[in-house]
Amino acid sequence: MPDNMSISVNGQSQVPPGFRFHPTEEELLQYYLRKKVSYEKIDLDVIRDVDLNKLEPWDIQEKCKIGTTPQNDWYFFSHKDKKYPTGTRTNRATAAGFWKATGRDKVIYSNGKRIGMRKTLVFYKGRAPHGQKSDWIMHEYRLDDNTTTSDANLVSNVIGDGGQEEGWVVCRIFKKKNHLKTLDSPLGSGEGRRNHHLFDNCDEGALEQILQQMGRGGCKEENYEANYNNNNYGRFTRPYETSLNNNGGYNNNERFMKLPSLESPKSTSMENNENNNEGYHAIIQVDVANDHHHQHHNNMVNNPLEASSSSMVIASCGDGGLANWVALDRLVASQLNGQTETSRQLACFNDPTMGYCTNDHDLQLPTLRSSSSTSSLSTHVRATTSTTTYISPSHEYASEIDLWNFARSTSSLLSSSEPLCHVSNTSA
Amino acid sequence: MGDNNNINNNVNLPPGFRFYPTDEELVVHFLHRKASLLPCHPDVIPDLDLYPFDPWQLQGRALEEGNQWYYYSRRTQNRITNNGYWMPMGMEEQVVTSSSNKRVGVKKYYVFLIGDAPNGSKTNWIMQEYRLSDSASSSSRSSSKRKSHPKSEHSRWVICRVYERDEDDGEDGDGIELSCLDEVFLSLDDLDEVSLPN
Repeated sequence: MPDNMSISVNGQSQVPPGFRFHPTEEELLQYYLRKKVSYEKIDLDVIRDVDLNKLEPWDIQEKCKIGTTPQNDWYFFSHKDKKYPTGTRTNRATAAGFWKATGRDKVIYSNGKRIGMRKTLVFYKGRAPHGQKSDWIMHEYRLDDNTTTSDANLVSNVIGDGGQEEGWVVCRIFKKKNHLKTLDSPLGSGEGRRNHHLFDNCDEGALEQILQQMGRGGCKEENYEANYNNNNYGRFTRPYETSLNNNGGYNNNERFMKLPSLESPKSTSMENNENNNEGYHAIIQVDVANDHHHQHHNNMVNNPLEASSSSMVIASCGDGGLANWVALDRLVASQLNGQTETSRQLACFNDPTMGYCTNDHDLQLPTLRSSSSTSSLSTHVRATTSTTTYISPSHEYASEIDLWNFARSTSSLLSSSEPLCHVSNTSA
Repeated sequence: MGDNNNINNNVNLPPGFRFYPTDEELVVHFLHRKASLLPCHPDVIPDLDLYPFDPWQLQGRALEEGNQWYYYSRRTQNRITNNGYWMPMGMEEQVVTSSSNKRVGVKKYYVFLIGDAPNGSKTNWIMQEYRLSDSASSSSRSSSKRKSHPKSEHSRWVICRVYERDEDDGEDGDGIELSCLDEVFLSLDDLDEVSLPN
């Protein structure tokens, strides 16, 4: 039956049951934003205009409702024209906080052709020096200049990311998911399944930027106090927590790293102790294989702070003769109370002698595998861990995973600022 | 079966709208109405009855959206297909209404095995079978005044959602969630906001 189903955001008629507005990035750019910038009429008022300076994320959520169906993300057009008087940066401050860009813009392709860019922003509550990071994320999509002006000469300009400060953009906001939560749902339903693309979008060159950021070590304005406490220990608990919650699951747990059991402190912990350096060594090893950065490699090894944060815990675990991860967990929790190790670990990131990333922006690291190969990745990791060579320098996959595992656990902690003792309880 | 399975021909929606029903919607809007012989609106899910289709034969027969296939079927004891069978995974979830937390249905998981039971070999194909919970069906029967339908008639409908797990379904994953990379960036933002004495 050809239903004449129209949608009115004003609430007169609704989206038919079961349907959600889930546009692809291509649809957002090629259909919606392109119509918007060329003043074409868009049939249904699905995407509204929002003044980003006037609405808080939770207000946008209210304003951009589509029908009455539950939504996980909200879409709107925004016109970027507000600038700070002193500079060219877009002013994305609201009454309650501000949007701050993070990471690197992602290129959006359509049929292999570049059509636009996506910027990721995070909402911080408060004012810049003391902003507190929230779970609200915004993806801001803009069209490439050359596709709107059809001036082929602009291509080089576009790549340089300049001249993007004005005009219409289409945005999506959503609340960052706590990955633990999605894992708790026993099986991947259709909805949940999409949340597990932990290894997606790992485009090449991205590692380079991560390393740049890690080596940057500059101090910024926001959020000193909160993160100082949260960043450092909790991430170690994450892999453990994850594998625990996945026991008995069948599906998504294969994407996550399983930690080696520590039944035999002598063999396992001692070995990890010896391999202490290799957390970074392994990563650099890949680098060496690809290019000739022996110089940086040596820097790393000679640095007294060379031990990666992740292996430090394992080392201390060996010292204490701890036999299992619960005990490790307690150890970490006790250290958290002390807060003694914080600066030591953070120094890994800020130490100016670790210039291997700032010195060389062309650092070539292998492209990360996309989701299609994650299962094989995890297989490798499990194989590696079960033979107690926790980090194998010759094993490319293992070193990659090590980085990712470390990084992801860092990030996931931030979303859940629960104290560590909570984890201990879970495991008991 | 001869239904047009292309949603866009069936429902006049602008680009970007997709069939991503919640469990509740599947049960309340689709299964319940079907079982009560009420018109489904929109009528997008085809009825495949008990045809013994293998999961890979659903293409073009069931409603496809984002690498998932939806269709109506019937309750049955054996779920044998042309080349295999669906085996229960021993998992059931209650489907409850978001408003009143009332149990309206049950979602049961099956895995597809190729070959003859019980010696088939497992595949990555998963089926979620939605059925009305018994209390829901009996209460609805009394409220819908369709007493002419015996209970067996009413509750024999199911909705199946079939998908291949661990598939590279990145096509609907674009940008909806934060990638791991974004998460890394986010955390790194924090790291270098902490300044330490050098």
